[in-house]
Amino acid sequence: MRQNTRSRRWPRLRPLGRKERRSLWTALLFLSPWLVGFLVFTLYPMVASLIYSLTNFNGLVSTRVAWYSNYAELFQDPKFWKSLGNTAYMVLFSVVITLFFSFICALLLNFKVRGQSIYRVLFYLPSIIPTVASTMLWIWILKPDNGVLSALLGLFGLESPNWFLDPNWSKPALILLGLWGTGGTIVIYLAGLQEVPQSLLEAAELDGAGWWQRLRHITIPMVSPITLFNLITGVIGTFQYFSQAYVFAKFASVGKASITLGAPLQSTLFYSVYLYQRFFEFRWGYASAMAWILFLIILVCTLLLLRVSRDSTYYAG
Amino acid sequence: MKRRTVYQKSLSVRSHLAAETFGKHFLIWIVGAFFFIPFLWMISTSLKANTDIGRVPPNFIPMDTKMVEIDGQDFPVYRYSLDDGTQIEVAVLGFEGEQARAVDPSAPDEVMILPKDRLEEVLVISFHWENFPEAMQRAERPGINVNYLTYLKNSLIIAFFSVIGTLISCTPVAYAFARIRFPGREALFIVVLASMMLPFQVTMIPLFRLFNEVLGWGDSFLPLIVPTFFANAYDIFLLRQFFRTIPEEMCDAARVDGASEWQIFSKIVLPLSIPILSTIAVFTFLWAWNDFTGPLIFLQSHQNYTMALGLQDFQGQRQVLWNLLMAASVVFTVPIIIAFFFLQKQFIQGIKLTGLKE
Repeated sequence: MRQNTRSRRWPRLRPLGRKERRSLWTALLFLSPWLVGFLVFTLYPMVASLIYSLTNFNGLVSTRVAWYSNYAELFQDPKFWKSLGNTAYMVLFSVVITLFFSFICALLLNFKVRGQSIYRVLFYLPSIIPTVASTMLWIWILKPDNGVLSALLGLFGLESPNWFLDPNWSKPALILLGLWGTGGTIVIYLAGLQEVPQSLLEAAELDGAGWWQRLRHITIPMVSPITLFNLITGVIGTFQYFSQAYVFAKFASVGKASITLGAPLQSTLFYSVYLYQRFFEFRWGYASAMAWILFLIILVCTLLLLRVSRDSTYYAG
Repeated sequence: MKRRTVYQKSLSVRSHLAAETFGKHFLIWIVGAFFFIPFLWMISTSLKANTDIGRVPPNFIPMDTKMVEIDGQDFPVYRYSLDDGTQIEVAVLGFEGEQARAVDPSAPDEVMILPKDRLEEVLVISFHWENFPEAMQRAERPGINVNYLTYLKNSLIIAFFSVIGTLISCTPVAYAFARIRFPGREALFIVVLASMMLPFQVTMIPLFRLFNEVLGWGDSFLPLIVPTFFANAYDIFLLRQFFRTIPEEMCDAARVDGASEWQIFSKIVLPLSIPILSTIAVFTFLWAWNDFTGPLIFLQSHQNYTMALGLQDFQGQRQVLWNLLMAASVVFTVPIIIAFFFLQKQFIQGIKLTGLKE
């Protein structure tokens, strides 16, 4: 009786047949690059960093188990909260603005006009420019004293904000340069727009639905799975935002005695930047604790997004 | 009468359509300017003279002071306004306070003393192509033979081996997940998918120790190259999606004929997968070429730097050499642009594959 209920809940592992065993061995042979890679480059480092996070490990001096002390220190570290706040700012504004802008661009590129394919290349090209190069280029464009943008704003009698000294303007500068490289997201949206059935749009037009109504009630719901995909990848990517901020801060501290990550005034001290700083200072236990918190945050955000979107996302078929 | 109304109507429809088409082009150009102008600005800056860099307002086309040669020496040319409004060009030999010593370039013996405030610099379009060789040959520290060409070579080596590693390691793994029936396949595949969510920061420190202390690969390309030979979740996923579109009957028929899994994989599935393989090759190259964090963490000495790291050489503690920096950025970018124009289909295919469901 008891065994019966157990076997219902846990299907008993039956011994594999000869054929199955052979196919398993073949499969394992094919899988071996990933299996080895996963064990050595993913699973082992995961376990190791979890253990580091519970110690005061700094790569040099003898290591002591410190249990939760890294985590306790984290929650009292103003720089941790600062970096988390900066990152949340980017996740909220950068991701949403980028999605909105990419969707608009995709709508424009979906117009049936002559030269459409050239326009598409034009919009996409900046996104394949190496991050460091595009960040440097935008720093050069935004320079308040002799940059192009400040000259352009001057034509309208406006004064350029000091993107590199004013902590209120450094993140908008990073969002702007992010928008320039959003070509990949545009192409994904464009592919989605092309999947929207033409017949549906035409039927709605015959029924008297205007451009806005068709967009609002047909196009946007039809591309909602793509919006969700872009949203999730955007959120995950932004939580790990690093290279642009690193290069930006390095420029913002030109002329100063040393390179200050997060310059100006810790306004670009994002989570990954602060983590890197701790790593660089050999505070490896602390950095590992930060990495695990990051992982948890990403996990929770992704699951939340999936959960919340369940009712508002349309899947054909 | 009836015919006429129809004609008129079609005319108004036509002009309406023309206005709409114009409006669409106009909108595209407005947004397109945002994407394109920075690009032109990068190229323009890369061709500018040092003296043209800080000019306010900036010139969009590279300009430089016009020079004229007098007795084997170059002097800048200025425009001088005469009292009657006509302008003449003079070569300025030097400034003394508010006055300038200048000569007429056609009669250089007669020195004129002219007020400085009535002189205006003459600019001519000049492309400084020498910025490119100069940027390439600029060594970070004198005496050490490390320059941008070394970084270019390093980036190429790392990107090349990353492509090879990714292609040969991901294909068999993806094949097993797509076409071999074995117990535990679905569960294992979920592990693959889940590992995509893991941020690099979690594994970074133990990997750093593993490569540096255990394997002794510190400050070499190996930490960047070797892991690509052990498959990555992202490309496994892409390849598996593609392999599943190959009719299973083909594989089954081959199995009935006594073909081994390896034969099916290498003789049937791989030849059919050239499009996806080239897409993955392109994106792996792009990724390795762009990568900043990996080289920043694993490479220490300048002779091992990649281009992404080396770009920072142009940014000194005090000032930034913008024209050389942009020249180097152009060199960094051009291979990618060329690749894009040759492999446009693979690019677009790759982006769509990542974004769309099976």
